[in-house]
Amino acid sequence: MRRNVAIIGCGQSKHGRRTDVSQCEMVAEAVWAAIEDAEISPEDIDAFAVGNMQGFGGIAQPDLVFTDFIAATGKPVQRVATGGTVGGSVAHLGYYEVASGMYDIVLAVSWEKHSDSAEPGATTGLLHVAFANLSYMMKMGMDMRSFAIMGLAGAAAGVSAYQAAQYMARSGCKIEHYDMVAAKARRNAAKNKYAHLKWPGCTADDIAKTEMIIWPMRFGHVCPASDGASCVIYASEEAVKRLKVERPVAWVKGLAAYADEEADQGESYQGTGVVDYSDQIGCIISAMKAYERAGIKDPRKEIDMAEIYAPFPHQELMFSERLGFFEDGKAWIAVEEGVTEIDGDFPICPSGGVNATNAIGSSAMQRVVECALQIMGKAEEHQVPKDVRNAVAHGWGGQLQFNTVMVLGDSPKRK
Amino acid sequence: MRVAIIGYSQTKFEYDVEMTREEMVFKTAKDAIESAGLTREDIGTVISASTDFLDGRTISNCMLIGATGAYLKDETKAEEDGMYAVLYACQRILAGIHDVALVVAHTHSWIFNPHQVSVYMLDPLFDRQNDLLNDITLAALQAKAYMKRSNATEDDLALVSVKNLKNASNNPYALRKMPDATIEDVLNSKIYADPIRELMVAPPCDGAAAVVVASEDFAKKYCENPVWIEGIGNSCDAYLRDRDLSRLVSLEIASRKAYDMAGISDPYREIDVFEVTERFSHQELMIHEGLGICGDGRGANFIRMGITEFYGDCPVNPSGGALSGDAICATGLVRLIEVAKQIVGEAENQIDGVQRGLAHAQWGLCAQKNLVFILGGDYEA
Amino acid sequence: MSEVIRYQGIPFVARFRLSAGELMERFYQSLKAKKLTALKCNCGYTVFPPRIRCPKCYARLTEENLVELSGKGQILSFTKVYFKLDGKGNFVDLDEPQVLASIKLDQSDSIFFAKVCGEPKDGAKVEVVWREETKGEFSDILCFKVVE
Repeated sequence: MRRNVAIIGCGQSKHGRRTDVSQCEMVAEAVWAAIEDAEISPEDIDAFAVGNMQGFGGIAQPDLVFTDFIAATGKPVQRVATGGTVGGSVAHLGYYEVASGMYDIVLAVSWEKHSDSAEPGATTGLLHVAFANLSYMMKMGMDMRSFAIMGLAGAAAGVSAYQAAQYMARSGCKIEHYDMVAAKARRNAAKNKYAHLKWPGCTADDIAKTEMIIWPMRFGHVCPASDGASCVIYASEEAVKRLKVERPVAWVKGLAAYADEEADQGESYQGTGVVDYSDQIGCIISAMKAYERAGIKDPRKEIDMAEIYAPFPHQELMFSERLGFFEDGKAWIAVEEGVTEIDGDFPICPSGGVNATNAIGSSAMQRVVECALQIMGKAEEHQVPKDVRNAVAHGWGGQLQFNTVMVLGDSPKRK
Repeated sequence: MRVAIIGYSQTKFEYDVEMTREEMVFKTAKDAIESAGLTREDIGTVISASTDFLDGRTISNCMLIGATGAYLKDETKAEEDGMYAVLYACQRILAGIHDVALVVAHTHSWIFNPHQVSVYMLDPLFDRQNDLLNDITLAALQAKAYMKRSNATEDDLALVSVKNLKNASNNPYALRKMPDATIEDVLNSKIYADPIRELMVAPPCDGAAAVVVASEDFAKKYCENPVWIEGIGNSCDAYLRDRDLSRLVSLEIASRKAYDMAGISDPYREIDVFEVTERFSHQELMIHEGLGICGDGRGANFIRMGITEFYGDCPVNPSGGALSGDAICATGLVRLIEVAKQIVGEAENQIDGVQRGLAHAQWGLCAQKNLVFILGGDYEA
Repeated sequence: MSEVIRYQGIPFVARFRLSAGELMERFYQSLKAKKLTALKCNCGYTVFPPRIRCPKCYARLTEENLVELSGKGQILSFTKVYFKLDGKGNFVDLDEPQVLASIKLDQSDSIFFAKVCGEPKDGAKVEVVWREETKGEFSDILCFKVVE
């Protein structure tokens, strides 16, 4: 008999360039906002789930430094870290902590402070990803200087451009569709008080005018390096009753995070090397498992909206197909028809998504927060007009191979 | 519903294991699955344990999916001691979503000296600016504070090292063994920050460990000798500046929770063996008090009277503990495995008639976080 | 088993520049003025250096809670340190051992880990020694000296 778990409150810090606060203070902002939103006091929290990419902020195990900032003193704390999916991993950890029956109320927070980097483009953390994980290239004859240049340019944007080209080839979409998705992201973000890159009324033409970085990636397609923290508070069904929660809550119906192999060969020549980066088998399987656990048989019909982890616009198209919302290669048609707009038939990223706000550690958790807000009717200006009964929050990262999928709904019973 | 450990493996701890991370992890993961009598297909979820700073690479699990057996499995990574990953694995199973989990913990200490990494655990805006602060010097302050509060002396600290290094002599997996260790050896070893000397510091090294945990149904069906997880307690103390360094408050909280869950009221009598993570000798004495097996301030009595020897009334670290080898993320998990071995009857310094054991892991400067597992044998069979 | 090839050092550094937040920035400014400041919560707990939440009761703290400390305190415990880490993980022996202490400052509840100049004793009373020229950095605090 599975224990039902609900999200009873969410909090976010303002995302953007937050040089006005330290890493600890930024996390505290989101945590205390969530505690207030959940209408509980810190004593009610039984346990914590935390995570970020420690190499980005320069603190090893930052949660140990800010234990008392977030009212965790004396309480159980568990930490996970999985790269770009860390927000999703923390969201999953928080759910499991409650679902296991060990705790009734769990606070899960994830964050990133990119601006604490002294390098241009706030890339200190990304350089750590590229250099250490791809150092095997020097074993194969690449010299240090070329490696340095590749690492700087290729780490996230370069690899994604390659993926964008692959997706374009297999789906037949055009770069204009990427422009349309990026414009939608910035338009939606203008309605989201927590988002970073807001551009009210942004059009595909506005994006098309921006400089081409590397085909098919334009400057207007690239996500910002934001700072931010996102937090949710989980409660078991009994706790929801005990706290006499009258307001709507969001129930976690199913989740999965199935990992594919690394997309580049590793130092011991492991991995065959994924050839088509837009395959994302991990996403397909994670979605399948999450739907199975949530009792969802037809995602296109039963899911009402999705928050997809898409730092670059092609990924919104790609993942919306892998998650089962559109057929393989057909997502661009939905974009043309306005299906994925806030007021469309299947809104995707009404918050502006990761393309408009990317605090890497926080981003996948923010997708969960945004879905919960939509279900609870609390998304304010970017609330989608249709009824949201079920939503999907997706996270992505790693060496292109990690995906986290969570299905949320307005009721604990599986449909 | 209960969860059981049905298989495990550990590597011989080495200063330099002369293998890549992938090779070491692959070997350990495969051995653990084999020891459980399973194949990779039986595993539902894989949780690894490593940290980005220690591994010198961000997303320290992303290039290890193949090696940990996590290909197309529900996978994640705990960024702390491997025992915390076991806690998470138990949660995944207790939630009813998975039946069998593989946990793999690993650290290559030669990548980035863990003592240097400890400097990055300091508050960057204040404490890190003091170039004298690191885990060893803070441990020295903790040792002094503890010695002031209790009746412990430097000799008692040395006795802990002597016991553990002697115990390690029979342990083929241990790194540092001294069958003829004496108090003088310890007190003459290189001084770092008094009273902390070389032989009082757990030596960082390379190593990996893995366990397979399963749901009650699965364990009963497929395992002849399941080791049941009867109690778990987890707690985190405040950061350095705002906690009492002379005691392990979070261990007091964590152990009480574990005892409650396991239905234990008198741990000294009801638990047959203890495997604890003592990163510094004085911490083993503090752990006696934190676990509530001795009176307040009396942690040293046990070591003086030989109570915690492996032939004593309350054996602590018969395997040699962390003082015999500290592969950081794997160390706590190895403590869990050593208790499991005691229960199954496969330990090197085997204690007679072990039915229940306690495994302890710590994390953070001066053991800020503490985690306790209580394991029990299948004695109701 | 494949050959293990090791790379040591990378010919550049990716640096950090951390934001301190308003409270800590103000704290460092007051260091320049040779003042030690803390925040006193209504619950009675005084946290040093300032932070936005009280470690005991978690109440929100602001500059309104600011208190100036006398710079005097007491040694809780101390140790003679014989080494330093060089930032790359290597142990470096110190020519002369340096004294590190955990100090309880008067009127503050948090512990301050600081260097002590002179012969330390458990429970000894100490006082902060400032650098001649202060810059608004941690190193403005030269050490603590034993006063009795």
